[in-house]
Amino acid sequence: MATQVAKRVNRGKRIVSHIGLGQMIAKDWKRNKYVYLMLLPVIIYYLVFHYGPMYGVIIAFQDYSITKGVWGSPWIGLENFQQFFSGFHFSRTVINTLAINVIDLLFGFPAPIVLALLINEIHLNPFKRLVQTITYMPHFVSVVVVVGILVDFLARDGVINNVLVVILGISPTAFLQQPEWFRWLFVGSGVWQHIGWGSIIYLAAISAIDPEQYEAAMLDGASRFQQIRHVTLPGIMPTIIILLILRVGNMMTVGYEKILLMYNPMTYETADVISTYVYRQGILQADYSFSAAVGLFNSVINFGLLIFANWFSRRVSETSLW
Amino acid sequence: MNRKITRREFLRYAGLAAGATVLASCGAPPQAPPTQAPPLATAPGAAATQVPTKAAATVPPATQVPAGPEPLTLPIVKQPMTLTYWVETNPNVAAVAKNYNEILCYQELEKRTGIRLDFQQSPVGQGLETFNLMIASQRYPDMIEFGFGGRAGGASTPPGGPAKYLKDGVILRLNDLIDKYAPNFKKVMADHPDWRKQIITDEGDIYGFPFIRGDPFLLTYTGPILRGDWLEKLGLKVPTTLDEWYTVLKAFKEKDPNGNGKADEIPFTPFQNPKYLQGVRGAAAFIGAWGMQVEFYQDKGVVKHGALQPGFKDFLKLFAQWYKEGLIDPDFVTYDRKMLDAKVTGDQLGSLIGNAGSAIGNYMGLMAEKNPKFKLIGAPYPVLKAGQKPTIGQQDFEFQGQVTAISTANKRVVESIKYLDYAYSPEGTMLFNFGVEGVSYKMVDGYPKYTDLVMRSPDKLPVAQAMCKYFRSSFNGPFIQDKRYMEQYYELPEQRDAVKNWVVEKNDTWLPAVTVTQDESKKFATISNDVTTRMDEAIAKIIVGQQSVDSWDQVVQQLRQMGIEDAVKIQQGALDRYNKR
Amino acid sequence: MRHKGGFGDLLFGVANTLLMVGLMIVTLYPLLHIAFASVSDPATLMQYRGILLKPLGFTLEAYRRVLDNPMIMIGYRNTLFYVIVGTALNLVMTTLGAYALSRRNLLFKNVIMLMILFTMFFSGGLVPTFLLVGITLNMMDTPWALIVPAAISTYNLIIMRTAFEAVPVALEEAARIDGANDFQILWRVYLPVCLPTLAVMTLFYAVAHWNSFFSAMVYLRSRDLYPLQLVLREILITNSTDVMLTGISQTDAMPIGETIKYATIVVATLPILCVYPFLQRYFVKGVMIGAVKG
Repeated sequence: MATQVAKRVNRGKRIVSHIGLGQMIAKDWKRNKYVYLMLLPVIIYYLVFHYGPMYGVIIAFQDYSITKGVWGSPWIGLENFQQFFSGFHFSRTVINTLAINVIDLLFGFPAPIVLALLINEIHLNPFKRLVQTITYMPHFVSVVVVVGILVDFLARDGVINNVLVVILGISPTAFLQQPEWFRWLFVGSGVWQHIGWGSIIYLAAISAIDPEQYEAAMLDGASRFQQIRHVTLPGIMPTIIILLILRVGNMMTVGYEKILLMYNPMTYETADVISTYVYRQGILQADYSFSAAVGLFNSVINFGLLIFANWFSRRVSETSLW
Repeated sequence: MNRKITRREFLRYAGLAAGATVLASCGAPPQAPPTQAPPLATAPGAAATQVPTKAAATVPPATQVPAGPEPLTLPIVKQPMTLTYWVETNPNVAAVAKNYNEILCYQELEKRTGIRLDFQQSPVGQGLETFNLMIASQRYPDMIEFGFGGRAGGASTPPGGPAKYLKDGVILRLNDLIDKYAPNFKKVMADHPDWRKQIITDEGDIYGFPFIRGDPFLLTYTGPILRGDWLEKLGLKVPTTLDEWYTVLKAFKEKDPNGNGKADEIPFTPFQNPKYLQGVRGAAAFIGAWGMQVEFYQDKGVVKHGALQPGFKDFLKLFAQWYKEGLIDPDFVTYDRKMLDAKVTGDQLGSLIGNAGSAIGNYMGLMAEKNPKFKLIGAPYPVLKAGQKPTIGQQDFEFQGQVTAISTANKRVVESIKYLDYAYSPEGTMLFNFGVEGVSYKMVDGYPKYTDLVMRSPDKLPVAQAMCKYFRSSFNGPFIQDKRYMEQYYELPEQRDAVKNWVVEKNDTWLPAVTVTQDESKKFATISNDVTTRMDEAIAKIIVGQQSVDSWDQVVQQLRQMGIEDAVKIQQGALDRYNKR
Repeated sequence: MRHKGGFGDLLFGVANTLLMVGLMIVTLYPLLHIAFASVSDPATLMQYRGILLKPLGFTLEAYRRVLDNPMIMIGYRNTLFYVIVGTALNLVMTTLGAYALSRRNLLFKNVIMLMILFTMFFSGGLVPTFLLVGITLNMMDTPWALIVPAAISTYNLIIMRTAFEAVPVALEEAARIDGANDFQILWRVYLPVCLPTLAVMTLFYAVAHWNSFFSAMVYLRSRDLYPLQLVLREILITNSTDVMLTGISQTDAMPIGETIKYATIVVATLPILCVYPFLQRYFVKGVMIGAVKG
């Protein structure tokens, strides 16, 4: 058993040694005393503020009543979950949630990376800073305003249709009424709004790459694209991978605020997601436990996906969350 | 982290929605204040009739009177006293006062009663959440003002209704206390047994002092609105039947009433705010012509659901036809408030469903300078055949669930009761509705007329906000709303006429605030949600012509599969319990 | 980064520039729209549809109404406090945690990491947290309720840890040979090398504090402690055109709702927009030059 413990800890990098667990801890403490000291406030923080209230998770299994509190509310087991799963539109909402997230993963995730790479290719520094500053601004505009603009532009007699009619001679399309368009409009407008902000982290990562590597590549005659491929990308790959893993751990989550503003009964079939469905239910009866159960369900799946992504990443790269 | 946001934001929006519903409920006709004003001095042995506290017996006053309720004498206390009072901050008040104690009527109240309120105000629009947290913390203030008795399906009540708060020891049952210490309130309830029925639980308990709108004039504020100037220009009269509406809408579309040479008029839009709660519900104004409503309603005590009625198909057929002929805005499904504003003020929209205040008043005020001819009028709810009278029109109940309750943490219950009771006395009613005589109103020929401080505020405040500096009639509170407030609030004759047109005499298909039981509530919520989702989707697609009217039959089948009939049964049970109160 | 010139590169440069300009136009528009709308005449604005290329009319009335509100100054003052103190706490805690979790030979590293990650997905919810912070810890109605429970963002912690892990071991080893302990290594080696990441962390946390209103809404009762966003939300709700407004007598006061919304957004956002350009200087390449030699 001691051997197994040692193996697990020293992930294949060190010689497996046959030390006892107690001795290993002592050794670790001796070496990393200050490190654990540093960790102390962090751990206390998480224990107090995150694990302290964690008992609230059981609300998902109760018929929670605010007057009775967590300890006084009756236990109903999986009934909340059953209520959720047996909803007529349940599968549709799950599919829509996943579909939107997949599209966002395929297009929304790489977009800021591409932008960061392109910005990095700008040589004129003032222009470069200008681009960075302006492209990140829409992130701060409230989603209500953004969607308001979108609704206005996409209306049958809105700007976009006017352009299409005049320039391309197509008859007007009611974009926001067509289910086929919804996911793309939703993800697309999200990319537009957040691409600049998303690129910041990658720009920071790029600036951490040792310029000597570029010198070496140039000496080897590498073109611009080759440099990107062989120096820049590998240099920011750990960041990309970590963020990708975290993103995969979000596949069951689509916030309801923006969907609520963009959807309507005509597009329910592709636009109605888990959170909006639950939201409408909540309007009828302020049912804490129901939304808690749905949230828990989402979290379990998200966490599972995260674990899978992390495992996969461990196998194909050197970077992982743990 | 993600999950936290999901629920947090959901609650926030539920709170916003609740706040919005509260906002929307403006205007209840005040009961004509009793003409005899009992003098402020003691009236010894004033005998108010004993109203039986349990609804078991019917109303005949019991005559055993060991001691009638004590008459209310002012001041209530000899030493100044402070009571804590929880309330959600009304947005209009927030614009003019940092604390409710700055409102003139409360300052005056303190002078008269000797009791000062220490207001614990929740931030604007976040009432539901902060309320729930306050309850969860089990640190209750002395009095809590909240929508405990929310309407059936309202977001502000937990399953089981207000009875839960009584049973779980949050607020007090007030029946006996009212008998002893609240003569004014008792009298009001004795004079209006139908009000009393609304404010008690199924078991007959009174759980708070309610906000009541006693006059029909205050209960109706929404209805069909048309461009009156366009009607005049085209020589049309106000439509009353569906056929007449068809004629009018067609004329709007073809005869260029806005006079710009372009056929850009949009005859009608059924959009109603907030869109995500109501889908295509604006069409509800028209479905009444077939004697039904879009969702749950009652027909002489029997609960029904509009979707299951054969007439529903006729309604869909009509609207699909109108849409096909271009009489309904093709973008109606994607409207938001901004779009509606733009199309009305942009001289395109010919008719809509809206409020006398926020539509007629607002838009006419905006357009007064640019287009003095611009006129919005309210048309009566349409009927099928000429000569019929409308049987269904928007009408709220006098009681919308808002009460001030006394919490179990209150140590000065008697004084609290007396304090709250004062609002229902004639002087209290005047104070809460009109403020202080000489300051915010003057009696002109026996009619309390608001002064210029209110109607033409020196700070250039909108009237709704100016009012909030002096009294509470423009937003809910524990008192009876007086009709004369609304008569002055609606400054334009078009507004007052609109309400008159919209009032439906025999309007008894509405379901009162019934309570679904704890056990049934989860099932009911799920079924309702599924049904509403499916209905909204189908209605929208049928109207725009993507699906045929006949496909509605399949939809009804699906609704049955979802359990709509069970939901009707649940509501029936709730209604039966209500009727037995 | 330099590389051989040539026609292909020139073409790329031009294409890239055009693309960036196009992107800037498209991303700048929402803000321009808001800025123009905030000084436009409300009635004209209401009926206008389409792209706003300039203000419609000109009036500062909306700004007057927003800035006249006495709570605005209080809001600014409070938010400044929350941002500065909050971000400082965030940086200290996150840095300590990130450094510790980036140590290669920490025995309990993965256990602790998992324990932290778990909290990203599972939480007790609003009510238990509220009871803990507000009642048990008695932070109700204090600024600390807004700062302490938000001390660490796990997401940011992970990002910073990733940055620390990328620092070449050689640097650390050199410092150890010189006899430095972990605190000194962190201060003298890691922080300077990871300056860009620190800058990003500062930005992320500062923005989060600036935008936050929910905790304030839940824990604060005294309006004197309200942060800016809460004040502005109230203004927005109060002036929403959905509120019942009246007829002709108050033409000026009333239709201002929409423009007030825009003015509010400008007032709320302008200051924080200025932070990033300020931090951009830290995104400097070559911090590592000469760091690893020999």
